[in-house]
Amino acid sequence: MSKEELIKELSDAIISCKKDNVLAAVEKAKDAGMEPAEIIEKGLAAGMNEVGVLFERGKLFLPHVMMAADAMAQGVKLLETDLGAGATEKKKAVIVNGTVEGDVHDIGKSIVSTMLQSAGFEVHDIGRDMPTKSFIDKIKEVNADVVGLSALMTTTMQGQKEVIEALKEEGLRDKVKVMIGGAPATQAWADKIGADIYAENASEAVKQVKEILSV
Amino acid sequence: MATEYDLRMGDGKRVFHSKNQIMDDLEAGSADAADLGEISALSSNELEKIAEIIMTKSRMVGVEPGKEVPVTHDIGTLRIDGDQGNSGVGIPSSRMIGCMMHERAFGADTMELGHIDYSFKPVKPVIAQECQAMEVCQQNMIIPLLYGAMPNMGLYYTPDGPFENPGDLMKAFKIAEAQESIEKSADHLTRDMIWIIQHMMKSSSDGVNFDTTGAAGDGDMFATLHAVEALRKEFPEMYIEVGMAGECVLGMHGGLEYDGKTLAGLWPHQQAPLVTKAGANVFGPVVNTNTSMSFSWNLARAVTFIKAAVEASDVPCHVDMGMGVGGIPMLETPPIDAVSRASKAMVEVAGVDGI
Repeated sequence: MSKEELIKELSDAIISCKKDNVLAAVEKAKDAGMEPAEIIEKGLAAGMNEVGVLFERGKLFLPHVMMAADAMAQGVKLLETDLGAGATEKKKAVIVNGTVEGDVHDIGKSIVSTMLQSAGFEVHDIGRDMPTKSFIDKIKEVNADVVGLSALMTTTMQGQKEVIEALKEEGLRDKVKVMIGGAPATQAWADKIGADIYAENASEAVKQVKEILSV
Repeated sequence: MATEYDLRMGDGKRVFHSKNQIMDDLEAGSADAADLGEISALSSNELEKIAEIIMTKSRMVGVEPGKEVPVTHDIGTLRIDGDQGNSGVGIPSSRMIGCMMHERAFGADTMELGHIDYSFKPVKPVIAQECQAMEVCQQNMIIPLLYGAMPNMGLYYTPDGPFENPGDLMKAFKIAEAQESIEKSADHLTRDMIWIIQHMMKSSSDGVNFDTTGAAGDGDMFATLHAVEALRKEFPEMYIEVGMAGECVLGMHGGLEYDGKTLAGLWPHQQAPLVTKAGANVFGPVVNTNTSMSFSWNLARAVTFIKAAVEASDVPCHVDMGMGVGGIPMLETPPIDAVSRASKAMVEVAGVDGI
């Protein structure tokens, strides 16, 4: 089997969302002498990217994304020894995500958290209707690189601005990238309040976080 | 220099585009819908027709005589009185006055009574009050008055309800548990919606409007379709409207089916037959606005999806038009230039039966 075929098999195994398929494909690639980094980057990660695309197009759904992410984690674990201790534990970045105060909407924010988690980020979802102080406390506690602020109502969007102001007051603004989202949020609103990232949907959020952090 | 026409981006910002830019965006928007929904893109004549509507040199436009369609309203009952920094106008008035204003002053063809929380679950403890409000409104009104609320299945998950939040379970890779929680919540939601509407029908409601169906994903839609089916069986003559929350049913569960069809990932033209099969009289398809794209792009995309839904539906399609849907920009009070143009395109190109 050629390397291209092995890479395709790895990617297809991830898209199938089946752990057994992924483990078998990883063993096969290892036995064929493929480098662990190549197995992960060109095979498994490429498959996860495709899963993201299929999710965005309504062809795969949240449980499938989670199953694929789980299968990928198990596949990477098989390569742990070859990669060196602790190499697979390293997360891309730390993200605090939540819905701002006064807003009880949860689902969109949870999908974004799940997608970011499945993309390899360490995500701390602090829930909904969260006061500004809770965001700041969590950012400090986990030393976050990014904070995600969700709002589904025009009446609660102001909470996104308040968190940004609080970050400035705490001297954290330069250290933490701010991402906003939710139905009434727009790029213009992000520009107005000084957010770094605005995303239309969960897949876009993952893409933009990766871009801004260059990971 | 080519003539430029003032239009808007999806976030409402004013922009000036030439006819060529408008045509390019129309074509791309329609192609996007065709690609996602695996449906036909609009023909060049249809794109030209939408371009003409967009480029009309008037603040607002209207449909050609004889092409008027019914206009129904959802939570308008509360919009007169409401003033929470949203689109309410803050004029002190009861819900009945709100309904009557829509009937007698604003030209609404049907209206609905809705509770301030506008979800089914919170209506349970105040059902007697809602029944009385319905009776009083019916005694004072002529147009069909439905009871309206959102299925809003999120209220059945922790911390609002008894079942563990599938979002939290999913993040912990407890996928089977998350799916089970969705299934149990859906059963409860179906039961509650049926119970509430049984009471409203006893209080002379003309029917029900399930507003923002699918907001909590496929479980939300699953519950609603089953409630529609049961209500149709019990009340063969009642009006049932099913309006959607978004263009594509979110797959929070992923495996729920109705009539042998997986609900997750359904687009408007695939939703319509299931809504009809369950027993609804009116289907309210939704297409979301992309705030980063132009009005032309969004409108062509929305018309493409809705036209396919109208063709696939055996019941009238009353397209959802408003803030951030139906090609209309995401503005709290949607601008009349965009609302009237999008509405005209929906009637004259997509062929909708109502708005």
